Amino acid sequence: MTSFHINGRLVIVDAEDDAPLLWVIRDAIGLTGTKFGCGIGMCGACTVHVGGRPTRSCVTPLVSVAGAEITTIEGLEGKHPLQTAWADHQVPQCGYCQSGQIMQAASLIRDFPAPTDEDIDAVMAGNLCRCMAYVRIRNAIKQAAAQARKVAADE
Amino acid sequence: MSKLKGQPTLSRRAFLIGSAGTAIAFGFAGTEATADESSPFEPTIWYSIDRSGIVTINITRAEMGQHVGTALARILADELEVDWSNVRILAVDTDPKWGVMITGGSRSVSDGFPLYSRVGAAGRIALIEAGAKLLGASPSNCLARQGAVFAANQSISYGEIIRRGGPARKFTPDELAELPIKEASERRLVGKKADALDIPAKINGTARYGIDASAPDMVYARPKIPPTRNDSVVRSVDDSAAKRIKGYLTSLVLEDPSNTVPGWVVVCATSYPAAIRAADLVKVDWTTGSATEVSEQDILDYGAKQIAASSGGALVVDDPGVDSAFQAARSVLERTYTTGSVLHAQLEPVNALAFEKDGRFEIHTGSQWQSLILPVLAKALQLPQERIIMRTYPMGGGFGRRLDSDYAVPAALAAKAIGKPVKLVLTRPDDMRFDTFRSPSIQTLRLAFDARGKVTAMEHHASAGWPSAIVAPAIMHKTRDGTPYDQDAIDGADHWYSVGAQRVRALSNTLANTSFRPGYLRSVGPGWTNWAVETFMDEAARMAQVDPVIFRVGLLDGAGRNAGGAPNAIGGAKRQAAVLKRAAEKAGWGAVMPKDTGLGVATTFGQDRAMPTWVACVARVHVDRPTGAVTVEKLTIVVDAGTIVHPDGALAQVEGGALWGLSIALHEGTEFVKGQVKDTNFDSYTPLRIGDVPAIDIEIIDSTEAPVGLGEPGTTVVAPAIGNAVFAATGIRLRRLPIRPADVLAALRAR
Amino acid sequence: MFKKLLVATVAVGCLGVAGFGTLAWQPAMAPIAPPATASFAPELVAKGEALAGGGYCAACHTRKGGERFAGGYAMETPFGAIFSTNITPDPETGIGNWSEAAFARAMQKGVSRDGSHLLPVFSYDHFTKLSDDDVRALYAYFMTRTPVHATRRPNGIPFPFNIRYLQAGWKLLFFRPGRFEPDVTRSAEWNRGAYLAQGLSHCGACHTPRNLLGAEKFGNAYGGAVIDNWVAPPLTAGNAAPTPWTHDELYDYLRTGASKLHGTAAGPMFPVVQGLRALPDSDIRALATYFAELDKAAERLPYVSGAVSLAMSSTLAKEGAPIDPDARLYITACASCHYNATNAPLATRPDLSLNSAVHLADPSNLIQVILRGIGTEEGMPGVVMPAFGDALSDSDVARIAAYLRRTRTDLPPWPDLAVKIAAIRRQYEAAK
Ligand code: FES
Ligand code: FES
Repeated sequence: MTSFHINGRLVIVDAEDDAPLLWVIRDAIGLTGTKFGCGIGMCGACTVHVGGRPTRSCVTPLVSVAGAEITTIEGLEGKHPLQTAWADHQVPQCGYCQSGQIMQAASLIRDFPAPTDEDIDAVMAGNLCRCMAYVRIRNAIKQAAAQARKVAADE
Repeated sequence: MSKLKGQPTLSRRAFLIGSAGTAIAFGFAGTEATADESSPFEPTIWYSIDRSGIVTINITRAEMGQHVGTALARILADELEVDWSNVRILAVDTDPKWGVMITGGSRSVSDGFPLYSRVGAAGRIALIEAGAKLLGASPSNCLARQGAVFAANQSISYGEIIRRGGPARKFTPDELAELPIKEASERRLVGKKADALDIPAKINGTARYGIDASAPDMVYARPKIPPTRNDSVVRSVDDSAAKRIKGYLTSLVLEDPSNTVPGWVVVCATSYPAAIRAADLVKVDWTTGSATEVSEQDILDYGAKQIAASSGGALVVDDPGVDSAFQAARSVLERTYTTGSVLHAQLEPVNALAFEKDGRFEIHTGSQWQSLILPVLAKALQLPQERIIMRTYPMGGGFGRRLDSDYAVPAALAAKAIGKPVKLVLTRPDDMRFDTFRSPSIQTLRLAFDARGKVTAMEHHASAGWPSAIVAPAIMHKTRDGTPYDQDAIDGADHWYSVGAQRVRALSNTLANTSFRPGYLRSVGPGWTNWAVETFMDEAARMAQVDPVIFRVGLLDGAGRNAGGAPNAIGGAKRQAAVLKRAAEKAGWGAVMPKDTGLGVATTFGQDRAMPTWVACVARVHVDRPTGAVTVEKLTIVVDAGTIVHPDGALAQVEGGALWGLSIALHEGTEFVKGQVKDTNFDSYTPLRIGDVPAIDIEIIDSTEAPVGLGEPGTTVVAPAIGNAVFAATGIRLRRLPIRPADVLAALRAR
Repeated sequence: MFKKLLVATVAVGCLGVAGFGTLAWQPAMAPIAPPATASFAPELVAKGEALAGGGYCAACHTRKGGERFAGGYAMETPFGAIFSTNITPDPETGIGNWSEAAFARAMQKGVSRDGSHLLPVFSYDHFTKLSDDDVRALYAYFMTRTPVHATRRPNGIPFPFNIRYLQAGWKLLFFRPGRFEPDVTRSAEWNRGAYLAQGLSHCGACHTPRNLLGAEKFGNAYGGAVIDNWVAPPLTAGNAAPTPWTHDELYDYLRTGASKLHGTAAGPMFPVVQGLRALPDSDIRALATYFAELDKAAERLPYVSGAVSLAMSSTLAKEGAPIDPDARLYITACASCHYNATNAPLATRPDLSLNSAVHLADPSNLIQVILRGIGTEEGMPGVVMPAFGDALSDSDVARIAAYLRRTRTDLPPWPDLAVKIAAIRRQYEAAK
């Protein structure tokens, strides 16, 4: 039994300690916005936030998130500035990578409020977009970061 | 069916039509007499309008990132004259009424345009007539806009027309075919910016893909992949070690009358991680097919022998006078080009959920070609096809992988064997090992020049695995002498250059076909034929000492069969020359480049001659001599795809396609080794990442010609442009794809 | 953790020289009736609780998934497993019938209530420095825990190593009993830090190399040691990290489990940081003061920013040529979390160019963390690093490690990567 919070909700999961968090989130909890792409931490489709940090859930054993605060794409409730930017730039093609891209980008713009292209290249390198929507991903990140900076400046 | 009361002469089914050009009739639903308030007006199978005026458009094409539903809906909605905010799309499940369900070949918009336009126009006409009557006006004085019919100073909404009885109007197939389609200047939706309807759900995590499907009581399954794709037979299964995995249920040796998945064992468990782990522990002993002895070079060697043999294969183009032109030639250029295996690596590994319910088998999965797999499923399950239904899901990438929906078969067989819903998901290594990957290819091209340096003849011999030969022999084309060939595997070789007498010979690489399951990979044959043709044209231009752009433009003269024609190829080679010139101009062709930097050009024509999407690309490339690394600094691409329905979606397709081309040129490519592909996950298979993206400048030509496809053409033009740019930068000629630093280094050293 | 310590210390037991027995003999102390909880002042218990944290007693005296302090934690040795003892006040299986004097003798002399010598895996060689007051507080704390009946599992140590009184020989050679002596030339804070480090927190137990007989080398205190495929790095100026462990860095690391310029407390260091949470900030500062001096951080302080820039320059340079497959692997698997943009790396993005794991002569810590990851309770609380053990092959791990070594340091490549990875992989698989 492992318990943690996901999108603000407490869950208690009866699964093997070493079950990958990804499948717990998708199949046991039923939040399928988090995707499976590679299972080895090399595509980023499964990225969620653990303690506010982007984490590849496919290689995160369940036991290691005991007591953690987890956020998935569903937890952003469509309200994150990145999600607005994603819509403005019409980023997704097949869309399968996009939950992971957005979760990863969320930490990118928090850590680097004015991300350079190098920052984006490095931090987003782990997120494969097989449809190659990269040009739009980059533009949307820049828009969302600018928006976040504006909000911060206004406050 | 209560709404049909009082409509004795018309049954609902009477209105169902199978494909474009058949009868269309209006007038059965939505009468005042109808008690059921939710009954929509459903004039054809393609759409319905409900009493509040919401139009729901049925989409039979699969969504895999091309926003196809949005594009098709906009075509229809434009002619129907409805407000876009009242349009919904519905991805439909399989039903014979839809006709052939296939999404491939970049054909959706091109094929869909006439049909969706005309059924939209028919609806508009019918609604105007009905509205005019209700308004007491003459139809000719009425006009439809934004979901309403307007007379002089009054109007009535579509919703109200339907609430008050709706239109009653019939169109015969001939009438339908004759319906005028709007002038381009009249279009209000087609060609205008719009947000894709499938996108919001892909941003907030609510989009449900095949891998997200579930059913009560389902068990999770992972296949145990046999050593060879064909002819593997299970001798024995030992699951004793798997039994210690909590949740492990059973290992099923599939009996497959359709022979789609020979030797597959499906490992079932109560959770997917348990299925993954158990499958690792299950030991299977197989007798294998002969492919365990086959590697990539064997396939290329086999192809080289086919090419060397003067007979065999299909003469796809066979002009008289080829041999005599070569005999008379002053000089001849002959070159051989190869391409390696390429994986689809679509991000959602293939999967399917299958179960029996109410006497029918339901298959929940993403598929690009339901009509192909349904009969296979019927054979596998030993059921009549009517008892199988495929539910539709968006796909986490198609790229041709899901034209072959082979993965539905093991899920269905397992569900049948275990008597419970089975959700089969392939792990990434499973998916890659049995990808229907792009076959290696080998091609030899020859060009004859006469004494004045004029091109007088060309030959192109291409050997590769033929996807259609494996999964769809019925769709194969035939040469004039009746030899069948896979058009998808040779498209592109029959180019629009006027080269005098031309011969194109397509060779089915039997060793490839028997060793694995060659698949359709984004653009299929044009992915390798254009690598050869466009590198070859560059070599020919250099040999003729003519600028490569000028050389090509000279051959794209639009003479003879290259003049093109209706419906899709009006303008022919002239349009190809136009995009080429435009790309060269935009890219600053001819400018002096820094050291080890060069511009390379290539031009292609989309999927096939019947639906040419004219593309040209100039790549600016830097070569790092110490390492052999090739860096693409910029891609300039110009596309003429006729009428553009959904401009932003079109741009996205070209962006993605071009980067695919770049990825295949420099970052991807695996090798077939002893019956298996070498790379099985993203640690060693390394598609392009965000940091590898060069500057991209894409221009889509404004055109009112017939719309043609955009899913694939962007991919074919980039690799040869890069190879040619490497030549411009360094003088080394690369004839093998992918381009590897080691090859560049070796070539640099050899100079 | 601490498992390898035993190998030599048990072995030396057989050195027990003939005739030594008399010296080694210690009397049993009379059992007492367990004292009532109410007999201990609450302040004393509270103080004991903090001290028990600072000594991270629970780390060794609790088995995985077991009741706190009930023992049973297994320490493997080549001679067999040793299981830690139950230190709850259960009269039969714990220390319920131990008098305070018996408890103090165990702490300060390494002798059990029944007179037998305790194995030096119990760090009485450090606890002997504890003040009587602190021992009293610890006693009060443990005697007021809920008793847990947990029969001690017999150790698997075979004869003659199991003869406890032979351990007295080892004591004679290496054990210096006696309370902590403050150094009057130093500040009170330094002395407090020294007291904690040398006594209660027994830092040398891991960080001081041991001689062939398993005793800490007095001449090389905190010189660094390898235990159980983990490196306890030197805490002296010999520490391999590119920047010194300054007072602030030490404080952040010990207080929060992570520091900007050195990384995250993982593996065996984690329970230490977890235990230290019970100590007040002033104690953590004292520890930082003590170790900052040991590290000679003050002398190197002016060079910190230069050292950071120098180290970071390797990160900030674009990750190698895109064609370098090792660079690709690293950037794909690791950079999304470990990349930093400027010379001021973020603590939440542990920068591997600064991390000692990459600079140590032994790659074990880096490999351990790649394979096991870091759980939410370890390191930075709430944050995890995924475990790549089931994801990456040994050769992928080796490529990443070698790539980091190559690009982030000027140090020679690790010669034994493959062997170490295989060994740690075995350990990792066995732990499952
Ligand atoms: S599925 Fe987790 S990184 Fe690919
Ligand atoms: S949108 Fe398809 S993988 Fe990124």
